[in-house]
Amino acid sequence: MSKHSKTLLASGVSALGIASVIMAFMLDSYSLLVFSFFALTVVVGVGLNILIGLSGQISFGHIAFYAIGAYVSALLTMQGVSLWLALPAAGLVCAIAGGLLAIPALRVNGPYLAMITIAFALVVHHGLVEWRSLTGGANGLMGIPMPSLGDTDPAVLLALISTALMLGALVFFQLLRNSGWGRAMRAVKASEIAARSLGFNPVQTKTLAFALSALLTGMAGAVVSPLMMFINPASFPFTQSILFVLAVIVGGAGTVMGPVLGALLIVLLPEALSGAAEYRLLIFSGLLLGVLWVAPRGVLGSAARLWLKPVQQPAPVQPDLDQLSAFFAETPSSKGLEVKDISIRFGGVQAAKDVSFSAPPGSITSIIGPNGAGKTTVLNMISGFYAPNSGSIKLDTEVAGLPAWKLARAGIARTYQTTQLFGELSVLDNLLAGMQQGHLGNIVKGASDQQRALALQLLALVGYRGSVNSLADELPHVDRRLVEIARALASRPRVLLLDEPAAGLGQQDTQQLAALFHTLAGYGIAVILVEHDMTLVMAVSERILVLDAGRPIAWGSASEVRQDKRVIAAYLGGTSYQATPRDQPWKGSRDARLYIKDLVLDYGAAPVVNKVNLVVNPGELIAILGANGAGKSSILQSLAGLHPATSGSILLDDESIHHLDASQIAARGLALVPEGRQMFPQLTVRDNLMLGAFSRTDKVDADAEIEAILRRFPRLRDRIDSLAGLLSGGEQQMVAVGRGLMAKPKILLLDEPSLGLSPAMIGELYDALAALRDEGVTLLLVDQMANLALQVADRAYVLETGRIVKSGTAEELRGDSALEAAYLGEGAVA
Amino acid sequence: MITAALISGLGLGSMYALLALGFHITYVVSRTVNFAQGSAMMVGAVLGYSFYITWGWPIWLAVPMTLTLCAVYGLAVERFLVRPFSSRGSEAWLMATVAAGILVDNLAMFTFGKEPRQFTSELTNTGVTLLGANISVLQMLIPVIGAAIALALLLVRRYTRLGKVLEACVQNPQAAMLMGIRVNRVVAIAFAVSAVFAAIAGMLIAPLFNVSAEMGTLFGLKAFAVAILGGISSASGVFLAGLLFGLVEALVTIYFGSAFTQIFTFGLVILALALRPNGLFGSKTMVKV
Amino acid sequence: MFKLLKPLRRRWPQAAAVTALSLLVLSPAQAAEAIKVGLVAALSGQSAKSGEALTRGLTIAIDEINAAGGILGQPVELIRRDDESNPAKGMLAARELIQREEVTVLFGGLDTPVSLAIVPLANQMKVPFMGIWAAGTGITHNGAEDNYVFRVSAMDEIVDEALVQYGIDEYNMQKPGMLLINNPWGESNEKGFRHALETRDMPYAGIERIESSDLDVIPQLTRLKNAGADTLLMVGNVGPSAQVVKSLDRMEWDVPVVSHWGPAGGRFSELAGPNASRVHFIQTYVFTEHNSAKGDQVLSALKSTYPEIETLADITPAVGIANAYDGMHLAALAIEQAGNTEGPAVRDGFYAIDEYQGLIKDYKQPFTTEQHDALGPQDYIFTHFVDGSIVPVKP
Repeated sequence: MSKHSKTLLASGVSALGIASVIMAFMLDSYSLLVFSFFALTVVVGVGLNILIGLSGQISFGHIAFYAIGAYVSALLTMQGVSLWLALPAAGLVCAIAGGLLAIPALRVNGPYLAMITIAFALVVHHGLVEWRSLTGGANGLMGIPMPSLGDTDPAVLLALISTALMLGALVFFQLLRNSGWGRAMRAVKASEIAARSLGFNPVQTKTLAFALSALLTGMAGAVVSPLMMFINPASFPFTQSILFVLAVIVGGAGTVMGPVLGALLIVLLPEALSGAAEYRLLIFSGLLLGVLWVAPRGVLGSAARLWLKPVQQPAPVQPDLDQLSAFFAETPSSKGLEVKDISIRFGGVQAAKDVSFSAPPGSITSIIGPNGAGKTTVLNMISGFYAPNSGSIKLDTEVAGLPAWKLARAGIARTYQTTQLFGELSVLDNLLAGMQQGHLGNIVKGASDQQRALALQLLALVGYRGSVNSLADELPHVDRRLVEIARALASRPRVLLLDEPAAGLGQQDTQQLAALFHTLAGYGIAVILVEHDMTLVMAVSERILVLDAGRPIAWGSASEVRQDKRVIAAYLGGTSYQATPRDQPWKGSRDARLYIKDLVLDYGAAPVVNKVNLVVNPGELIAILGANGAGKSSILQSLAGLHPATSGSILLDDESIHHLDASQIAARGLALVPEGRQMFPQLTVRDNLMLGAFSRTDKVDADAEIEAILRRFPRLRDRIDSLAGLLSGGEQQMVAVGRGLMAKPKILLLDEPSLGLSPAMIGELYDALAALRDEGVTLLLVDQMANLALQVADRAYVLETGRIVKSGTAEELRGDSALEAAYLGEGAVA
Repeated sequence: MITAALISGLGLGSMYALLALGFHITYVVSRTVNFAQGSAMMVGAVLGYSFYITWGWPIWLAVPMTLTLCAVYGLAVERFLVRPFSSRGSEAWLMATVAAGILVDNLAMFTFGKEPRQFTSELTNTGVTLLGANISVLQMLIPVIGAAIALALLLVRRYTRLGKVLEACVQNPQAAMLMGIRVNRVVAIAFAVSAVFAAIAGMLIAPLFNVSAEMGTLFGLKAFAVAILGGISSASGVFLAGLLFGLVEALVTIYFGSAFTQIFTFGLVILALALRPNGLFGSKTMVKV
Repeated sequence: MFKLLKPLRRRWPQAAAVTALSLLVLSPAQAAEAIKVGLVAALSGQSAKSGEALTRGLTIAIDEINAAGGILGQPVELIRRDDESNPAKGMLAARELIQREEVTVLFGGLDTPVSLAIVPLANQMKVPFMGIWAAGTGITHNGAEDNYVFRVSAMDEIVDEALVQYGIDEYNMQKPGMLLINNPWGESNEKGFRHALETRDMPYAGIERIESSDLDVIPQLTRLKNAGADTLLMVGNVGPSAQVVKSLDRMEWDVPVVSHWGPAGGRFSELAGPNASRVHFIQTYVFTEHNSAKGDQVLSALKSTYPEIETLADITPAVGIANAYDGMHLAALAIEQAGNTEGPAVRDGFYAIDEYQGLIKDYKQPFTTEQHDALGPQDYIFTHFVDGSIVPVKP
C-alpha cells in the first residue's frame, strides 16, 4: 500500500470518527439508533471481510455469531455483569465458536463451505428457540440493561461504543492486512499451492480468519442487545446473513472502507425506503440487483483500481551483493538434496519410476525430457505435492512424503510452469510473504524496513525493473517469472526448484537468467531446473538428468547427454519407423484451403506467436515443427477458436474465421484433434465418435461411417462400446482422430498425436495418417517428433520462439542440421 | 405411524431430490446454480394453481403451460442473473440469484395474493390403506414420480443425443466446443431444465401442502443441503441424499418432534460434510499443480 | 445533520418514479395540521395478509372519521411501516414514526415479540401504543409505572382460559392434548394453558409442537391419541391448523378441536377441506349475513373501498379488521377527550372515554388505569367455518 493511499485512508477513517462522535451527540434518538446499527454492521462487515477479503472463504452463517454475541452479552448483563466485561466475553465465545466451525469448514470449499455455514446458522437459530431455559425460547430475553457511564445518555453511550468498535475494527483490519498474519491469509487466498510451497499452513490461516471474523461479529452482537433491550431469535433472521455478505461484496471485498459502503447500503437504504411499507422488500431487492449489475466486483474495489494507482517505486538497478551474500550466508549448511529411486503411480499410469539424482549445494542440475516424461511430477514429489510410492528424498534428513508446507520450512522453494504469484498482492508483498518462511509474526505489525530493503535487493538480483508496488496480477509475463524466483529466494532456500523458468522469455532475458543461476549457485543454493530451452540447459547445467516416459535414461554432463543415442531418439523420435511415402509427390490445387497471414498471439504479455504466415492447400499434409514452447500448439488452438488472435487473419476457403468462436469454426469444417486427446471419458467410444459428427448438417449414416472408422482403426472394434476413459493412450488417440474424421472436415488439425504413445502405437497411428493423406484429406500436423512428422508430410514449417525460421518440402528438411539445433540447442550461448 | 411417516419422508425426500437435481444439472455444466431454486418451485406451484384452479384450464393444458413458462423463467435466470456475472469471472451470480429470489417472492405476493391457497386435487382425497396407515394416492405417487423423473434424467443423459451433448459439456467443455457444440446454449438449457424440475416439485407438493408466495424458501434451502450432501456432481448421489434427508427428517419428527428436525438434519449435514468433504456420494477431485 | 435520513426520504418519491414502480401508492401529502397515526406490522412475508387486514380496518375507520370532519377539526393520516416480523426492525420503525413522523398514536403489530420490543419505547417516549392484534399478556401487563400501552384484541391468558372452559362445557373434556405452533405465540399460549389446567387440577395428554413446514402432523397427533387425549387445544396459523385437520381426517380420529383464532387468518375451509367445520375457534368479531347496523356499515365500506372483496370469504381475517376499526375509533375519542395530541393527555383521554358503540361491542368505560384491555372473556365468541364463511357456533 502506498503512502498516498495510506494517508487518504487515515484521513478517511479519522473523518468518519470525528463525524461519528459529533453525530452521537447531536442526532435524534431514531437517527442515533440507525447510526448505531450502521456502525455495528460495519463491524460485522469488517469481520466478514477478514474471511472473504483476506482469506478467501465465505460464510452465510455470520448472523449466528451476531446472535450468539447478543445472547451472551444479554445473559451476562442481566446477571449484573458490566457490559465492559460482557463485550469481550461475547467476542471470545464467538471466536471459539468460529474456530470450531472452521474445523469442518476447512476441509471443504465453494458451495460445500457455503452449505456448512448455512447449516450452522439454522442450527444456532433453532437452538436458540429450543433451549428455552437459557435463551427464553422464541419469546427471547427482555429487560436487558443499558450501560451507564456518568450522566451520559445510555443511547449516546451505546452509539459511542458502536463508533469505537467500528473505528477499532477498521484500523485493526488495515493493520492486519499488512501484517504477517494478513499476508499469510492473502497468500493462501491468492494461491493456496504457492502459499504451501512457501511454508504457510492453510489450516492455520483459515482457522484464524474464521476465529477473528467471528470475534468481531460477536462483539458487534454484544452491543445489539442493550441497544434493543429485547432480543429473540426472530431479531436475527437468516436473510440478514446474506445481506452481510452482500454488503462486503458490493462494498468491495478486501478493501478497508468497503464494509462502510456496504453497511450504508443495507442499513440506510431500507430505512430510506421505509415509506414504501409492504413494497419495501420488493424495491430493495430490485435495487440490490441493480447495484450488482453495475458493480459486480464491488464499488470500492473497482474504483480503487481505477483511480488509486499505486506509486511507482522501482527496485534498485544494481543489487548490493554484500548484503545478499550475508542474507544467504545465514542458511544452515547442508549436504544438499539426495533423491533415490522415487516412483509414483497415478491409477494405471507409472508417472515416474526409480528416479535418482543428487544436487549438492552450489550446483545446478537440470531435469529434461520430452513432453510427458514426468519432469514436473518429480518436482512435485520433491516439493511435497505428491507423496512418492517408494524411494527416498533426503535433505540431511528424510523428507519424502511430508506436506508441502513442511518441506518449504525445511528449505525447499520452487517456482511453477504457469507462475503462481499472489496476484492481488503487490510485488513487494509477494516477497515479504516469502520472507516469512511460513511464520505468521505479529498480528498487527507490518514488515520492518530491513525486510523491505532486503526484498528490494532480491528483486534487483533477479533483474526486476518494474515498480515494486504493482499488483502481481498486472505484471507482464517476464516479470512474473522473475518475481516468482525472487519470492522463492526470499524464503532463503537451500534447494531451489525451477519449473520452466525460461518459458516465454526472449533470448536476452534467458541469458540473464543463466547468469542469475550461476550467482545463486555461488550462494550455496542447490539449483534444480526443469527446462525445455536446451540452449540454456546445456549452458548452465553441471549435470543433467534425462527422463523419458517416467524413467531416467541418462545422467551426466551436458556433452555426455547430448551424445547419448537414447536421448536423441527420445527427442527427435526414433528413426526405426518408416512411413509409406506418397506414390507421387503432391500435385493439387493451389487455391489455399487454409491461409494464415501475419498471425500474432499472446497471453497478455509478449507474443508467443509472432507474424506467422502459413498456407495449406487442399489435400496437402503440412507439418509445423519446433521445440516445446515454440508456439506450435498455440497456432492450432487459435485456428480452432480456442484462443483469440491478437492480430492477423485466418481464412478457411476464403472465408475469414478468426472472429468466430470454437463451435462456429467447427461448424464451418475445421476440426482439431487436440493435444492430450481430450476424450469424453465417461462416454463410450461410439458416443465419442458420434459427437464428432455433431456439427454436420448432412445426413449421417451412423453405422456405415463408424464402420469406416473401425476399418481404419481395427484396434477399436473390440472397444467400441467401452468407456473412452478406460482406453489406452494410443487407442484414445485413434478415437480422437476418428472423432475428427466423423465431422467430414475440410481440414483436420492434429496437435501432438504421438505424445505419450508406445513406438508400436506411433507406427500404427502414422500409417493411418499416411493413408488419410493418400485419400486426399487435408491435414495440418504438429508433432514434437520431427523426424516422424517429416516422413509423412509434404511440406513443413519450422518454428522457433514464435517465428517461422525455415520452411520447405519435407525432403529438404529431413536431415537438416538446423532442425536438430532447434530441438537440442546446439551452439550454446553464454 | 411409522409407515405413514416413511411414505411422507420418501415423498418429501424425492421432492427435495428433484429440486436438488436442478442444482446438480446447472452446476455440472457451468459451476453455477440458481440459489433461488425455491422461488422457481413457488413459481411453478403458483402458475399451476392459477391455470388449473383460478382459470379452470384442463389439466393437460395447465401443466404443459406451467412447465413451459417455468422453462422460460429458467432461461431468464441464466441470461440475466448468472451469465452477466459468470462470464466476467465474478461470483456475484450467487448474490444476484438470491436477490432475484426475494424479488420474485414479493412479486408473487402482490399478484398471486398474500394468503395460502389450497391446490385441490382428486388424488389427495382418495386414500388407500397400507400396513394400517391411511395414505393418499398422491403421497404414494410422489416418490414414484420423483424416482421416475430422476430415472428419466438418467436415461436421457445416457441414451439420447441431447443427453450425450449435455454429457460432453459436463465432461470436457472445451472438447465439446471443438465438436461444434454451443456450450453457452447448453448451460441455458440446463437452467431451463432446472426450473422445470422445480416446477414439477412445486405442483406435486402443493396439493399436500398449500400454495403461497413464500412456500419455496425453506424447501430451497433444504434442497441445497441435499444437493451438497449428495456430492453435487453426482446425479444418483443427489437423489439418494434427497431420500435420505426426507427419511431422517420424518424419523426425527416421529421420535423428537418437528421442532427438532432442522437442528438434527442440518447438524447432520455439518457432520457429514466434515467427515466426507465431497458429500456422501461425491468423488474426490485430484488437485493438479 | 440533525435529521440524517430526512433528505433520503424526501427524495423517495422521485426515486420511485425513476424505478417506474407506479404501483407504489404513497399517501398524498396531507395538510400540515393532519393528525398522524402510525402502524407497525408485518406487511410482507407470511403474515402479510393479516397486516393487510389491520391496514383495512384502520383505513375504513379513518375514512369515516375524516368524512365526519376529522379529530379536533384536523384530518387523520395513516403512516405504515413493515416490520418483517423482526423485533429489531419493528423497534426501529416505531422510533422513526414517533420521532420523525410524530405520530399521536401508534398502532401495533401482529407478532408479540415485535410489540414487546416497542412497549418500553412507547412508555419511555410517552406515546400511546394501541395493540390491535398481538395477544401476548406481557404487552399490556408490562409492569411500567406509567403505562401507555392499550389493546383492543384478545389476550392469550384469557383466551386460553376461555378455550379450556369451552372444552369442558361443550365436550366434557377430561384430558386435553395441546398442539402448539413452534413460535413465540405458541410458547406464550403454552404458559396460559398450563395455568388454566393447573387451576382446574386437570391432567393433559401432552404438548406437541407443529411447524409451518410440516407436511402432515400425524406423528404428533398419534402421540396425543396414544396418550389418551379426548380434546385437542390448538394454537397455530391457518396453514398448520389446516394440516392438523387433514391429518385427523387421514387418521380417521374423530376428536373435538378447540382452537385459538388462527384458522380465521385465511381461507381455512379451502385449505383444510370438508372437515374444516370441526374446528371451533375463538373470535372477537365475525361478519355474517346478518350483522348489526354497524357491521353492515363497515362491510359495505369495505366492499366499496376494496373492490377485490366480493364475498364474506374474502374478508380475512375479520378480527384484524374489527380490532383495528374499533381501536382507531377509540383512539380518536381519546384524542377528542384530550383536546390536544400530547401523549400524556391522550393517554388520559383513553381513561376518559365513557361510551363508544363499536363494531365488536358497545364499549362502556373501556379503559381504566387498572384495565388497559378493552376486550374481556365475555367478548369472545366461538365460531366455525360453514361453507367457507365464519359463523358463530351458537347464533
